[in-house]
Amino acid sequence: MSHNSKKTGEDEPGREQENTNSRRDFFKNFGLFGAVAAVGSAAIYSGYNYEESKPGHDMVKVLTSDNRIVEVPRDQIKDVKVDHDKLQKQGREGLKGHRFVMVIDLAKCRNARKCISACQGAHHLRPYEYHINTLVMQESEHTAPYFMPKPCQHCDNPPCVAVCPVDATFKRQDGIVLIDNERCIGCRFCIAACPYSARLFHWEEPLMAESDKGKPYNIELNIPQRKGTITKCLFSSDRLREGKLPYCVSACPNGVYYFGDENQDAVTNGTTKETFRLSELLRVNAGYQLMPELGTKPRVYYLPPKNRLFDFKEEKDPVQETT
Amino acid sequence: MIKRYFSLLLIVLISLRVSAQVWVVPAENEAKKSPFAFDDQSRKAGGDIYMTSCKSCHGEPGKNNSLPLVPPPPDMASAKMQGNSDGALQFKITTGRGPMPSFKNTISGTDVWKVISFVRSFNDKYVQEVATNAGPGAAVQNVKISITWLKEQSQVQATLTAPSKDKVIMPVAGAEVKLFAKRYFGNLLIDEPRNTDASGKAIFNFPKDLPGDSTGLVQLVVVPSSEAYGETKADTTLAAGVPTYLPPLNEKRAMWNVVQKAPIWLLLSYTLAVLGAWGFIIYVMLQIRAIYKAGSRKEND
Repeated sequence: MSHNSKKTGEDEPGREQENTNSRRDFFKNFGLFGAVAAVGSAAIYSGYNYEESKPGHDMVKVLTSDNRIVEVPRDQIKDVKVDHDKLQKQGREGLKGHRFVMVIDLAKCRNARKCISACQGAHHLRPYEYHINTLVMQESEHTAPYFMPKPCQHCDNPPCVAVCPVDATFKRQDGIVLIDNERCIGCRFCIAACPYSARLFHWEEPLMAESDKGKPYNIELNIPQRKGTITKCLFSSDRLREGKLPYCVSACPNGVYYFGDENQDAVTNGTTKETFRLSELLRVNAGYQLMPELGTKPRVYYLPPKNRLFDFKEEKDPVQETT
Repeated sequence: MIKRYFSLLLIVLISLRVSAQVWVVPAENEAKKSPFAFDDQSRKAGGDIYMTSCKSCHGEPGKNNSLPLVPPPPDMASAKMQGNSDGALQFKITTGRGPMPSFKNTISGTDVWKVISFVRSFNDKYVQEVATNAGPGAAVQNVKISITWLKEQSQVQATLTAPSKDKVIMPVAGAEVKLFAKRYFGNLLIDEPRNTDASGKAIFNFPKDLPGDSTGLVQLVVVPSSEAYGETKADTTLAAGVPTYLPPLNEKRAMWNVVQKAPIWLLLSYTLAVLGAWGFIIYVMLQIRAIYKAGSRKEND
C-alpha cells in the first residue's frame, strides 16, 4: 500500500488526479461522516430519552417495618419474598423437644375476658368469634357456679385430625393441633368430631380480610383468615417459637392460666410469671381433664374451683371486684 | 326524701370504699432505701422499663392519661404517687394489689429501684437518701457466685465471694440467695431461699426427680434476694437433672396420624381390600375372555 502511494506521489498528472480525487473523496468522506454523526447523535439522543424514561430518577416513599417513612429510588426496589414455604415447614414440624401443656385454675377466673380479647386481637377475630370462651358453669342446683375458660384441648388422640379428609388439620411433635387454612376445604367434619366444640367456621368474610390481603399465610397464626375454612385455638404457636407465653395466658389479670412444658415438668403462671412443678400443681390441687372418658387425652388441665376468690352472684365488673 | 337517703348511703358506701383502698405498707419496707444513688443512667434505664411494664396502665408521666380503672392508677407526677417513700414504692411494685400485678418475678430488684429513680425525676423537690453502707442492708460490690453440684448428697452449693476494702477476696456471709432451674417460660424456684454461712456457702437440696435434657443437664441460676448485692447472678449448666427424652407426640402410629404413620392393620386391610376388589374384577374379565374364546372355538368347529 505504501509503495503504491509513493509511486503516485512522483507522478505529476497522477497527483493532479489525486487532488481531484481527494476533493471528491473529501466530500464523499464528509457525507459519510455526516451520516455517521447524524446516526450517532440520534443514537445518543434516543439513549438519553431511554435513560430519561427509565424510572430510576424518581423516589418512592416506603414505610419500613420500624414505622419510618423513607425515600428510595424506584429502580432500587426489589420485591421481598417472605418465605411462605418456610412458614409452612416450621409450622408443620413444630418445636423439637417440647410437649406444651396448659393448666387453668378455675378458682381464680373472674370472667375478666382479657384472654378472649387478646386472642381475638392476635388472630383477627370478631368479638363473637371465639378460640377461647368463658363459660358459666353450674353442675347442679345446689353446687357453686363458676367460670370456665375453654380453649382447644390439643388432644393427644385428636378426633378432629382423624376425620380430616385432606390433612388440613394435624398434630405436631410438640403436641399442638393446628389447622392449615390453605388446605382446608371447609367440610366441617372436624367441627362434628370435636367433643369440646373448640372449632369455629368462617361463614362470613373474616374481620380483617381487606387489610390482610396479600400477607403471606402464617400457619402458626391463622392469618390471613379465610372465608369457608376452620379456625381454632393454636396455643399461640408463633409466640411459643419465641419463648413467650401465649396471648391469652399473658393477658390474664387474675393468674388463671399456667402454661409450660411437660418435658420439663414446669408451668409458668401468665400473670405472676412464677414457675411451678406441673406434677406437683396437679397433685396438690387435684387437677383434672375435660371428658377424659372419651380417650381424647387433652393437653389442657383444670384445677377445680375450690375456695373461689370471688362471690359469683354479686359479680358485676370483674375489674372492680378485684380491688 | 328517699332520694336523699339513697344519696347519703351512696356517699357512705363510696367513702367506705375509698377507706378500704388504703394500701398498708409495713414499717420495715416503708423505711427501705435504694442501695445506689439515682443518676441519669438509672433514670434512663428505669424509663425504658417503665415504658414496657407500667405505661399501659399508669400512662405517660405528667399527662394524666392512665387507664380508667378502679382504683385509678395514679400518674407518676401526681402528689399521691410522689407522697410514697422510696421503700413504699418498692413494696408496692414488688407486691401488687388488685389490678396492679406483682412485679416480683418480672422486674429484678435492682431494676425496681431504677424504675423508682425514673419516677422521682418528675418530682423537683425530691432529695434522695441512699442506704448507708452499714448494717444488713449495706451494699456489697462485685459479688461473685460460683455453683457446684454435690452429686452424693443431691445438693447444690452456691459460694458468694467479694473483694473487701483491701481487695482481698472474702466470703459474703449472711446473704439470702435463691436457686432457680431454668425452664422454657421462666425460672423454677428450687428449695427455699437460703442464707450463706460464715464461709459464704449456701446449700440447697436439689429434687431427685427434676427432668433435665436428654443427658440430664439443667441450667441453674443463683440470685441474691437483696438488691444490695447489685445485679450479680450465676448461670451454670450442671448434670443435676434426670435424663429425659420423651419422643415427639406425632411419632406413634395412630388413626389420626398421616398416611405413613397410619396403623399397620389399617394399611394392611385397606391394601387387601383394594387388591381384592381389583383382583375380582380382573378375574371376572379373564373368565369372560375364556367364555368368549370357548364360544369362538365352537363356531369354528
